Amino acid sequence: MELAFEGVSVTRGSYDIRVSGSFCQGINLVSGRVGSGKSTVAAMAAGILSPDGGSIHRKGISTSMLSFQFPESGLTGSTVKEEVYSYGVHDADTLAMADLSGRGEDDPLSLSRGELKKLSLACVLSRPWDLLVLDGPFEALDCRGKREVCRWIEHRRSSIVILCTHEQHILPRIDALWEFQEHTLVFRGLVPEALARWDLAPTSIKTLISRGTLPFNVSEDDIREAACRIQG
Amino acid sequence: MIIIRGVRHGIIDIPSCAIPEGHTAVIGPNGSGKSTLLRIIAGLEEPVRGCITIGEQSPGESAVGWVHEVPGQNSLFTRVRDEITSPLRFRHLSCDEITSRAAEVAAQTGISSLMDRELATLSGGEQVLVALATAMISKPDILVLDEWDSHLDAPSSAMLQNQLNTGGVRTILQCTQNMDLAASADTIVFLTKGRVKATGTPLDVFGKCIDTCYYPPSWRWREWNLRSKG
Repeated sequence: MELAFEGVSVTRGSYDIRVSGSFCQGINLVSGRVGSGKSTVAAMAAGILSPDGGSIHRKGISTSMLSFQFPESGLTGSTVKEEVYSYGVHDADTLAMADLSGRGEDDPLSLSRGELKKLSLACVLSRPWDLLVLDGPFEALDCRGKREVCRWIEHRRSSIVILCTHEQHILPRIDALWEFQEHTLVFRGLVPEALARWDLAPTSIKTLISRGTLPFNVSEDDIREAACRIQG
Repeated sequence: MIIIRGVRHGIIDIPSCAIPEGHTAVIGPNGSGKSTLLRIIAGLEEPVRGCITIGEQSPGESAVGWVHEVPGQNSLFTRVRDEITSPLRFRHLSCDEITSRAAEVAAQTGISSLMDRELATLSGGEQVLVALATAMISKPDILVLDEWDSHLDAPSSAMLQNQLNTGGVRTILQCTQNMDLAASADTIVFLTKGRVKATGTPLDVFGKCIDTCYYPPSWRWREWNLRSKG
């Protein structure tokens, strides 16, 4: 499977967002400053936004899903249970995943933003997808929720996962790293070698690299392991 | 000083709590009542029981700037410049004053280049910056920020936090899941299930959760650096 962007561009005010390259199977982290174009890439990858220039090719991808940055905008059910059903997944299991057992009859808008985010991620990640696009999945989640969502994402490694995030501390193990330079998406490479080329790398990774140690990956365990290597 | 007495509202159940002037971070697990507490303090909701005073005033009488956790939720206009200047236009300030204040707040929040854009074309993070500029333009006494930082990259949130801390707003109250950002506050209020689990300085509060994921990552790194350098 492959999602290929060929000379793709989208005009946003006075500048263009530009993307070229292929997303392959595994977890692809997309990093970038505010307004660089992460959500635009997510929308194009999910097929809900057409580029102004260039073309996007989906090779071997039959099913795809986008997890919105703002889950409030994608609600369709008037109860939590209806919302879960709308994704075609089993309500009891998904509610348990989201720590919302017993709240199936609640209005989804009565949930806190973090609870709603976790519900929407539980719905999206309850089913297999060839292409899974996660736009800001960690936003509003508490640290325990982030760790749990990391585990869910890591189980989707057989799909093409595009993970657009600002998160710095709690991340899943990733396979490939992409980063926006201004508004152009650049492939930094495969992990771990790509970590040394990551401009927006978390402080922990930059500190380790500055002390001569390249972490094997970006998860909390990998960072701890690399720190232990230095301490001996 | 914000005084909370016998407040019950939704999940919130706080017999008493005093929040001093300065920068306060409200932290806690998802669903612990952080946003509800901020909404009551901002005067957007009246508590079912109890009362809150800000100095001598009720929240509704205070000059409060509010940034919603879902940016764009409170927007009234489609163009950034119109949205940001709206609080001053509604108060019939002079055009010169509005223009000058808008330029100042746009520079502070780093959105000068976005002033003529449509809000709908902005990214989530950019929409947060617009909401923040709109809240700051009328120089409120209190700025209440409901997890504004979760949509921002680390350099932007650090830069803006610095602007906020030195921007002359007497009281900043913000909830966040970024414990490094919380650690830069003067006061922490840690909520669980609607109750205050701990309150005090970052050292007081985080000192009690050293073995949890709420301990600020930058503090762990600082300690690790000290240990590893012997």
